[in-house]
Amino acid sequence: MKRRDFLRNSMIAGGAAMSLHFEGLQAALSTNTVQVEKAPDLVAVMGGEPEVMLEKALEALGGIGNFVKKGQKVVIKPNIGWDRTPELAGNTNPKLISALIKKCLSAGAQKVTVFDHTCDNWQKCYASSGIEAAVKAAGGTIVPGNDEQYYSREITLPQGVSLKKAKIHEAIDDADVWFNVPILKNHGGAKLSCAMKNYMGVVWDRRIFHQSDLQQCIADICTWTKKPVLNIVDAYRIMHQNGPQGKSAADVSTVKSLIASTNIVAADAAALRFFNQVKALELDAVSHIGKGEALKLGTTNLDSINIKRIKL
Amino acid sequence: MKKIHFLKVLRVILAILFFGPMLVFFLDFTDVLPDATHRLMEVQLIPAILGGMYVLAGGLLLLTWVFGRIYCSVICPAGVLQDIINRIFCIGKKKGKGIYRFGHRKPLNWFRYVLLGVIAALTVAGITEFCLLLDPYSSFGRIAANLFRPVAIWGNNLLAVVLNKMGNYTLYHISITSITTASLLAAGVICLLFIIMVSWRGRLFCNSLCPVGALLSVVSRYSLFRICFNHDNCNQCTTCERACKAEAIHSKQMEVDMSRCINCFNCLSSCKKKALTYKPSFLRNAEATVVAPPPKSRRTFLATSVAVAASAPIVALHAQKLLGLHATQRLPVTPPGSYNIERFKDKCTACHLCVTQCPSHVLLPSGFEYGFGYLLRPRMAYIDSYCNYECTVCSDVCPTGAIEPLTVEAKKTTQIGIAQFFEDLCVVSVKDQDCGACSEHCPTQAVHMVPYKGTLTIPKVEPELCVGCGGCESICPVRPERAIIIIAHPEHQLAEKPKEEEAIKVDVNEFGF
Repeated sequence: MKRRDFLRNSMIAGGAAMSLHFEGLQAALSTNTVQVEKAPDLVAVMGGEPEVMLEKALEALGGIGNFVKKGQKVVIKPNIGWDRTPELAGNTNPKLISALIKKCLSAGAQKVTVFDHTCDNWQKCYASSGIEAAVKAAGGTIVPGNDEQYYSREITLPQGVSLKKAKIHEAIDDADVWFNVPILKNHGGAKLSCAMKNYMGVVWDRRIFHQSDLQQCIADICTWTKKPVLNIVDAYRIMHQNGPQGKSAADVSTVKSLIASTNIVAADAAALRFFNQVKALELDAVSHIGKGEALKLGTTNLDSINIKRIKL
Repeated sequence: MKKIHFLKVLRVILAILFFGPMLVFFLDFTDVLPDATHRLMEVQLIPAILGGMYVLAGGLLLLTWVFGRIYCSVICPAGVLQDIINRIFCIGKKKGKGIYRFGHRKPLNWFRYVLLGVIAALTVAGITEFCLLLDPYSSFGRIAANLFRPVAIWGNNLLAVVLNKMGNYTLYHISITSITTASLLAAGVICLLFIIMVSWRGRLFCNSLCPVGALLSVVSRYSLFRICFNHDNCNQCTTCERACKAEAIHSKQMEVDMSRCINCFNCLSSCKKKALTYKPSFLRNAEATVVAPPPKSRRTFLATSVAVAASAPIVALHAQKLLGLHATQRLPVTPPGSYNIERFKDKCTACHLCVTQCPSHVLLPSGFEYGFGYLLRPRMAYIDSYCNYECTVCSDVCPTGAIEPLTVEAKKTTQIGIAQFFEDLCVVSVKDQDCGACSEHCPTQAVHMVPYKGTLTIPKVEPELCVGCGGCESICPVRPERAIIIIAHPEHQLAEKPKEEEAIKVDVNEFGF
């Protein structure tokens, strides 16, 4: 090889090398550990549409395949409690539900079922929330949740302090995996409605919750052994006052965020911190979160877990 | 095979066209039929009269004056129901014991006109219970709502179980919630009465107990179109007489009592000699003149009407005392659009259409708990459901105007009662635990949570914002007496509209954790 050619080739190769990134290598060198990237305990995404934020969150968590296997029956449990349109933030964003269904189906889910034990008339809730239409369009199945007939399965909660048993919806009992997909809201009784509070839509008799220490019962129901594979908190629009039903658009802030974690207590604790940027609310007031921690359902100490924050 | 007279075919087709949608509407537990189906209920005579639709009521009387009591065979669902019962009764029976089992009887004029007079007088005097119990449309409504509907729902539930198992949720399980002992009993009794009377003497109900039948008979007596005998053709075989469900044909005298004839045209079909025709009376042959209806009955009717009408106020006063109409302490919560309890009681015939159509199943037929004066009428029962803030279905479908149509905006400011909170019973004060279920369900935040001990919050009611929807009462977990209940307004009031708040713009650029 001629020297001239050598020099020219070297320059080209050098230029090419300079345009490459070695962030991973640099990180490994600086921390002096060679690590296979560990999935974070909690992912928070901000600044995108619901479906985009879900995509980013799942990507950070290693993809949908980490949660749904081929041939599995999946249940997605949103909050569809109220006869409210998506703009009023009474229910989980239908776009998020739609995107998650498509993800599950792409991972080979045999069937994706959606339901909620609504507060208002279930047909009105399913329709007004836009979730019924979204589920059908995405290829999922929406099933009724407002007749005791569908809540025939009784579960026991040996770890429960106040609540020892509950009747739950057959769809979630039959499912292989389930996703807990609440919307972040102010709540008159529980103070905050998020991932833990969303469990109340799985059970039939909620009167007993209110009769025997609401906050404790919320923590108790979360001790059910069949945990959601992932909690995905919809904070695209949040209801910061007059919750959980809301009166008008004045109760809503569009903050375009999403929090995902397998750690339900951490998800709620993070959501509460996020909520506090709009409305002040003490962690002590939302005592079901602390009670959940006491029941070893997760941690409120967000410094102790690995959090990935993504801004779009 | 015997040829069926085309008028009978026409009658049956028209009857199906009226009856079918009405029946399906009452059974429609999935809201398939449009609310406008209730128009068919509005052409019912008593709803039309009570609803103040006098043009329509006049039209029905005019129809009867021209054609006779076609109303009773086509428009009246109780009439058609009786024909169906008769059909079922005749299955497998010999003709003499089945379709030709009737015979001429004297009219029960004294009985039916006195009864009509009494009912009319009492209704005018504000006691509508007897009208309500005998009104054929409302009786049909109660039978459909309380007897047929549960059967339809059971059928649905059986199918739903199978389909749901197969992963199909087009049909879903429905709990039967809108039937009470009183409504079931009322429907059962009137249905049994229909079965007994029809099996025994055909359309006896329509010509004895039915106030609509009695009222129409006064007009149909003089109707233009009549069933006429052709004396030349008739061989007095009595077939027509035996086929007449109304027992109105006297074949020996070749007379048809048009006051009782319900225009079923079975006689026309039964006659092999074509001796009977249905035609305007002015085309009758001189020889075939039918004896004019006995003027005696008209006198009877007028005399009793006047006498009863004159004594109505006295009777009403005594009856009210006797029946304890004003004795009840508690008042029922009446639906938005009914304006006040007295007005509602005057107009509602307890057909239970609203009960079947209410998507929230909050309307429940009453028994004697609010006195005889409120018997079978629907009330807002906040046992485990409440009135949807955005819904006006009951007022849209009510055929008598007892619940008048309201716009959604008007409904949202109609205060049918006020929430009353009992702090000494509330979970928050008794147990020092969070609850807030009432406030959670309050659409106007008239019930809202205010600071209590520590981080606890307790409900507080802003009466002017409360619409009385019962969200709070329905969900309150305290038993046996709930800590928040709706106190009915005897006269509905205007609620304040919740204040429009300014949306606060908050820029959130950080996660906060």
